[in-house]
Amino acid sequence: METIALNNPAPVAQADRVKTIDMIRGFALLGILLMNIPGFGINWDAWYNILKGPHNTKDYYTMTIIGSFFDGTMRGLFSMLFGAGMILFTQNKKELPDGPSVAEFYYRRLLWLVVFGMFNAYILLWFGDILYYYGFCGMVLFVFRKSNVKWLFALAFVCMLVTMFKNQQRWNEPRGQRIAYREAIQARKDSAKLTPEQQGAISSWEKMQSRNAQGPDTFFMNRNERTMRSNYATIFTYWVPKNTDSETNGLYHGWFWDGLTMMFLGMALYGLGFFSNRLSTSTYVMWLLIGYGVGIPIGYLAFQQGPVLQIADFNAYADRFRMTPDLIYDVRRGLISVGHACLLILIYRSKIVPWLMRALANVGQMAFTNYLMQSIICTWFFYGYGFGFYNKWQFHQLYYFVFGVWIFQLIVSSIWLKYFRFGPFEWLWRSLTYWKRQPMKR
Amino acid sequence: MSYQPAGTGTPTAVPVSLNDSENRLFSLDVLRGLAILGILVISIWEFGGFSLNEQTRLRLLHKGLDYSLFGHIIIFFEGKMKALFALVFGTGMMLYLTRPNQFTLPQTHEYYIRRQLWLMAFGIIAAFAILWPGDILFHLGVMGILLFPFARMSRKGLLIAALICTVIYCGKMFWNYADDKKALRKYSVSKKLEEKFKKDSTERHRKDSMAGMPVDSIKVRDSIGKKNDTLTRQQKEDKEKWEGITKRVKYDSTKASEKAEKEAMRSGYGKVWNHLLRRSQEKESVWFYKTGFWEFGSLIFLGMALFGFGYFNSSFSKNKYLLFGITGIVIGFLLGWWRLELVHDKIPDYEKYIKGHAIPPNQFFPIENIVMTFGYVSLVLWLIRINILKWLWKGLNAVGRMAFTNYFIQIIFCTCFFYGYGFGYFGRLSQREMYFLVIEIWLVQTVFSVLWLRFYHYGPVEWLWRWLIYAKRFPNKKKTV
Repeated sequence: METIALNNPAPVAQADRVKTIDMIRGFALLGILLMNIPGFGINWDAWYNILKGPHNTKDYYTMTIIGSFFDGTMRGLFSMLFGAGMILFTQNKKELPDGPSVAEFYYRRLLWLVVFGMFNAYILLWFGDILYYYGFCGMVLFVFRKSNVKWLFALAFVCMLVTMFKNQQRWNEPRGQRIAYREAIQARKDSAKLTPEQQGAISSWEKMQSRNAQGPDTFFMNRNERTMRSNYATIFTYWVPKNTDSETNGLYHGWFWDGLTMMFLGMALYGLGFFSNRLSTSTYVMWLLIGYGVGIPIGYLAFQQGPVLQIADFNAYADRFRMTPDLIYDVRRGLISVGHACLLILIYRSKIVPWLMRALANVGQMAFTNYLMQSIICTWFFYGYGFGFYNKWQFHQLYYFVFGVWIFQLIVSSIWLKYFRFGPFEWLWRSLTYWKRQPMKR
Repeated sequence: MSYQPAGTGTPTAVPVSLNDSENRLFSLDVLRGLAILGILVISIWEFGGFSLNEQTRLRLLHKGLDYSLFGHIIIFFEGKMKALFALVFGTGMMLYLTRPNQFTLPQTHEYYIRRQLWLMAFGIIAAFAILWPGDILFHLGVMGILLFPFARMSRKGLLIAALICTVIYCGKMFWNYADDKKALRKYSVSKKLEEKFKKDSTERHRKDSMAGMPVDSIKVRDSIGKKNDTLTRQQKEDKEKWEGITKRVKYDSTKASEKAEKEAMRSGYGKVWNHLLRRSQEKESVWFYKTGFWEFGSLIFLGMALFGFGYFNSSFSKNKYLLFGITGIVIGFLLGWWRLELVHDKIPDYEKYIKGHAIPPNQFFPIENIVMTFGYVSLVLWLIRINILKWLWKGLNAVGRMAFTNYFIQIIFCTCFFYGYGFGYFGRLSQREMYFLVIEIWLVQTVFSVLWLRFYHYGPVEWLWRWLIYAKRFPNKKKTV
């Protein structure tokens, strides 16, 4: 890849470089809503019911596309750009002879990001918030901002291994139960006398099986729906323990590694000039083909062999996989995310839809505002204290709404940036970081 | 003292030696040494399997010398030594960021962050390789990063921040208690309902049999009655929630959980690892988020503020130190005493306790902690200043300068001594034997530290730490001597 970069040595203007990054960020930001919208608008049992079948509904097709093509990829891309943005932030700022160092601004900024994340989770009531854990990941990234590309790839790999290890550890438990069950059944067939442990293994697996067959507990599902359609205070108290759980266990066991993997990868790719439009067209084409060509089939298979099979026949699923199919998660989404980025840059270079690319860049420039705006719009539309559309739509119908939000954000961002230098939340964030009101008007 | 950038200019390479002994504060190292030794007084409970839960306190209740020892330790040590360590950490943090050195400000900050990240890494080793679930290095590392942006705050601001953390920490105690109260209320409702159902069904049965109904129809009526007479899922959940809470508090005469714990801790490395994994993870995630942040935060902020006031440079008059010291310790003692009294009421019957008390026993524990720790700090500073017990301060100073090494020696020794893959003394020592051991460890550590520092600049782990931070090996041997 380096040789190709050398073939195209013309330095890209700073403005141009930032533009492609903003564009990709805008794209990822809009894409994130694809994954978040079910969380905002539909009861969780929807997943189970749709995956169970029949498999010729609009809902199922939508879910297949979302599950195999988009799942995790938009967040992945967003994380990559967060890593790249970290390098940009520290590079663009000059160390001043007196006054706070760049490190101080950087860590203040991240601490505020953590606070914004908590605001998003506890006040705006979006339990799927990512800002909180981005803040923590960012605090680790700082010391690696000057590391070379090889190291960054290695770090991304190590973080991915941690996720894999944790996923496998989680899978070992049901898998172990299944094995114990099968051994006990075999022993019973051989008409041996069963030990208490073997009897326990049989009964505990059967219990799990019947639980799986029943699907999500209607008691919880009804309570969830009832709560989400009620007032602010009720939803607030309902989410407190869940938000706490995701900001503690979620961060510690999953999100931290999930974020770091892609952030390190993003920093490495940024180092190669990937996001800043510095590679040759043929390189982008190649990586588009590799990313999509390998990532999508894996995604489709993982979806069919993963959630679909799990619900259709959990026994078969447990028998088939010694290693959980989740192990491939980061590989798949890394590939597809890279594919997304290549596709966008190629479209940008071909100049087919410059207006759309500009609009995406605008969305990306206001990514922080737009992210929080999605929480505000969606909670108000779906939750009980707003319009209360929670669980009233079918799964695929949610995506009409997503489309509407996209159009809205594309237009509003473009208009806003005509008059102002930053989005409103960016302005607030900046002002808090520098602890001084920042000029906003153009 | 306000925040001074440590000089700017062209970046320089890492100097050959970073001997900062001139910049160390003698009294700060004494306090650090005191903290590292003192921490063992409490952590030995967990190492040795002494305090598996609050049951221990019940068993020791009103039993002569053992109880009196235990009570004093609860009042004078529980939480305070960890707090002292955090306070010193906060001061050390400011010292690192502001002391004059060869680096530019950005470089200092870069090394500062690396330092914290390595501290976290050492904490992870302590928790998951040496198997010490009570580790605090990880937490201090994270706190050092989170509170880094506050280094420029005024000393008054820092004091207010410490106060806010303390108040929130108190608030958390109260909210947790309120949750328990709520759980009990819901439990009582469900419980009453259940009793009524039972009565109804017996009543029905009695009536039926008196009426001489045939057995079959009794069965039918019974099943209909039962259907209306069962708790809903929600009610059942309410009931189980409270039962879960009391289970933790109640004295278990079968000692089943204790036995299981002992068995697990007396087995091989793999088993102990598995057994402690969840606990260590919980400590680094949930506990940190809910409690640790506020506990450490209040003390670190206080340490930062005291640095700003020049408290460790004897910037106040002698008498003030004595006054602060005595006031702090007396207030802390009274609060601790009260807490202990409330604990006595709580353990035998938590339900009764909730009905009779508006606050939990540990309601003011955060205040007790911070006030008493401040008292200790002041008293030690006073004692150093009036120039008595010099040998003691010298010894503690050496321990403090090698605090990191001593911490690791403690946990390596204790895990090997108590856990099954070592000597397996877990749960086998009485309280008095345990504290005999603690005193032995203290003596050995002090002597070792004094001797080591005669020949070397830094303790081995400190030396390694610096190597990792600056990516450079420093000569450690002292030339003279």
